[in-house]
Amino acid sequence: MKTLTHQKLKLITAILLFLSTSAFVSAQENAAEPADTLYPILEQVQSDLSVLKRLKISGYIQAQYQKIDTSGMDSYAGGNFAKELDNRFSVRRGRLKFAYENQLSQYVIQFDVTEKGLGIKDAYAAFTEPWTKAFSLWTGVFNKPFGYEIEYSSNTRETPERSRMYQVLFPGERDLGAKLVFQPWKTSKYNYIKFDIGMFNGNGTNVETDQYKDMIAHLTLNKTFLSEKLKLGLGASYYNGGIRQVTKYVYSIGDVTTYNAYTSGTGIKTDTATAMTSLKAFRADSTGVSGDKVKRQYYGLESQISYDWALGLTTLRGEYLWGTQPGLAGSSASFTALPTGDLYSRNFSGYYVNFVQNLGQSPLGIVLKYDSYDPNTDISGDEIALASKEFPKNPVLTVKDAAGVVTKSFAAPIATTGLADIKYTTLGMGIMYRWNSSVRLTVYYDMVKNETTSKIVNGSTLKDYSKDRTDNVLTLRFQYKF
Amino acid sequence: MKKYILSTAVLLTLFSVFSYSQKISFKIKGSDTVLPLSQLEAEQYMKNNSNTSISVTGGGSGVGLSALLSGTTDIAQSSRKMKIEEKQKMIDSGKAVKEVVIAKDALSVIVNLGNKVSQLTREQLEGIFTGKISNWKEVGGEDLGIIVYSRETSSGTYEFFKEHVLNKKNFATSALLMPATGAIVQSVSQTKGAIGYVGLAYADKSVKSLKVSYDKGVTFVDANIANAMNLTYPITRPLYYYYLSSIEKTVKPFVDFILSAEGQQIVRTEGYVPLK
Repeated sequence: MKTLTHQKLKLITAILLFLSTSAFVSAQENAAEPADTLYPILEQVQSDLSVLKRLKISGYIQAQYQKIDTSGMDSYAGGNFAKELDNRFSVRRGRLKFAYENQLSQYVIQFDVTEKGLGIKDAYAAFTEPWTKAFSLWTGVFNKPFGYEIEYSSNTRETPERSRMYQVLFPGERDLGAKLVFQPWKTSKYNYIKFDIGMFNGNGTNVETDQYKDMIAHLTLNKTFLSEKLKLGLGASYYNGGIRQVTKYVYSIGDVTTYNAYTSGTGIKTDTATAMTSLKAFRADSTGVSGDKVKRQYYGLESQISYDWALGLTTLRGEYLWGTQPGLAGSSASFTALPTGDLYSRNFSGYYVNFVQNLGQSPLGIVLKYDSYDPNTDISGDEIALASKEFPKNPVLTVKDAAGVVTKSFAAPIATTGLADIKYTTLGMGIMYRWNSSVRLTVYYDMVKNETTSKIVNGSTLKDYSKDRTDNVLTLRFQYKF
Repeated sequence: MKKYILSTAVLLTLFSVFSYSQKISFKIKGSDTVLPLSQLEAEQYMKNNSNTSISVTGGGSGVGLSALLSGTTDIAQSSRKMKIEEKQKMIDSGKAVKEVVIAKDALSVIVNLGNKVSQLTREQLEGIFTGKISNWKEVGGEDLGIIVYSRETSSGTYEFFKEHVLNKKNFATSALLMPATGAIVQSVSQTKGAIGYVGLAYADKSVKSLKVSYDKGVTFVDANIANAMNLTYPITRPLYYYYLSSIEKTVKPFVDFILSAEGQQIVRTEGYVPLK
């Protein structure tokens, strides 16, 4: 009996051993299966992820509160204040940007969403050639390659708004066109040079309205010295374009001597005995025809210096622009649609100086900016806005050359200058606090000063330019960026 | 007795939980030049401090600094100084950054042991590596073609050599680009007319290091640690750690360790140039 029990025990043990081994092998085989199927899944996930990583979504929102000295004033600190309004909350910018980047190409769409509505800011494609990687072609809607302030993003710029001259000359900053960019590769000793040249509609992000295309060129040099302690930047810009004339007359400022006129026989004769004193006014050139091109030409110089020292990173930046700007009687702003009346050609100049001091390693920074814009450098002070009653009746305009010889004499309208010819200067000062990489708080105060003329006084504060208008603006801004 | 055992068990459990919660960990990312040094320093530090875990990865100096900005690394290791644009981005992000030089790196110009040439001026090196000088006889050697070896363009060592020795001129199109320093040493040791550049630590007895002159041949300086430390050897660069002030308490003990005598001995042992 004992032997039988022992044998039974052996048999049971052998069976158990066999079963457990089988289970173990089976478990190993089952364990092997997940690894076999996991690898191709992982490969697929990595492949999908590498494609998705090329898509970058970013954006920022700028919410702010503003207070202006007097209700209803015009302002370049974020837009005019409506009548009876001297303070407001607003979403100054709400940007959402989608960028898809391959090795040698980039596709970007950017929207702006505020309480005013939805608009498109950028929609472009950029391609870089694969051989030297020094040349890139951009097509679509993107920043005009002029100067420094246009391309300096609003979410990094220290002041709430760009300078007045940039807001007037380049409203919206963007245009529709194509540009070629040249910058030697990163390891080249000439990498500090960058050159942009492009052709644009000239209407901002709006549909083109004439056959004239505008050319913009921009050259910059940026180099660091003293082991990355000092950075110097220099640049020059050129804008050559034009606006289509829609009427017979294009006005420009001139020194004119006017005479009373009388008709005599078949023509108009001037009474030289009753010459008026020279005055500055818009005189019309009627030799052109509708469809002709009226010049729009700008020159720009820019400079920037940044120095990293014990007090923190200090930056001093400045630009000077001058040129010829076509506008209307009441506005010198660049057109975004076909003009509907006579064009007024003005020689302008403007500049700004911007100083930023970051306070050591703290998140605080202070900013000071002085900006000046003279939309009509040929006229100033009380020369502006001569009342029409001061012009002679039925004037014949006689234009003299440098020797005083009359070169032209014709009956043609003259027009007074006005609000569009007033020069402005703005001194701004502010403090920034960078909470973290997403949040920035800014307090900024604009002190605006206008050129005065005794000729524009109508009893209303809004229209009184005989003294400096009360249009200083305080801005409290909260920015969130992602 | 039971109470005693129970109390001890509770105390031990609390202690292990407490110890676990005190574990310190941080990441280092960036320069491939600094990578081997960081790995060795981290290993030794973790041996000395068992509650610390340090992970070290490469990718390049620029990658490390970008990671510091985006918050995906705690220390950025770099073989170059942070650029002003990078500093501005840190400031714009409200981040205060600390910079520490942890060691130096010197580049040795090496030739085959059978090469008679033992010293060259910077101008001659520029001529050789840009391809303008193609025979050793032009620089006092025998009539033998020069074969140039270089690191690949993605290497910080390549950038440093190009900027400081070649004045940013391009390497000769005939230059052979090698993915690693060891490959350069091996190739130069086996090729009579070869010339290359490597970190000081890699210039072993299988190759010859040249003396270099940066004053047009007036003085020639030997490539060794002493000359790199006293700045007479010209092809030397500092190696940096960058970290945010906000985590200084976490990482400073490790940084202090690297700057200590023990840490600097590791620097010297691994062929980098110690600070003192």
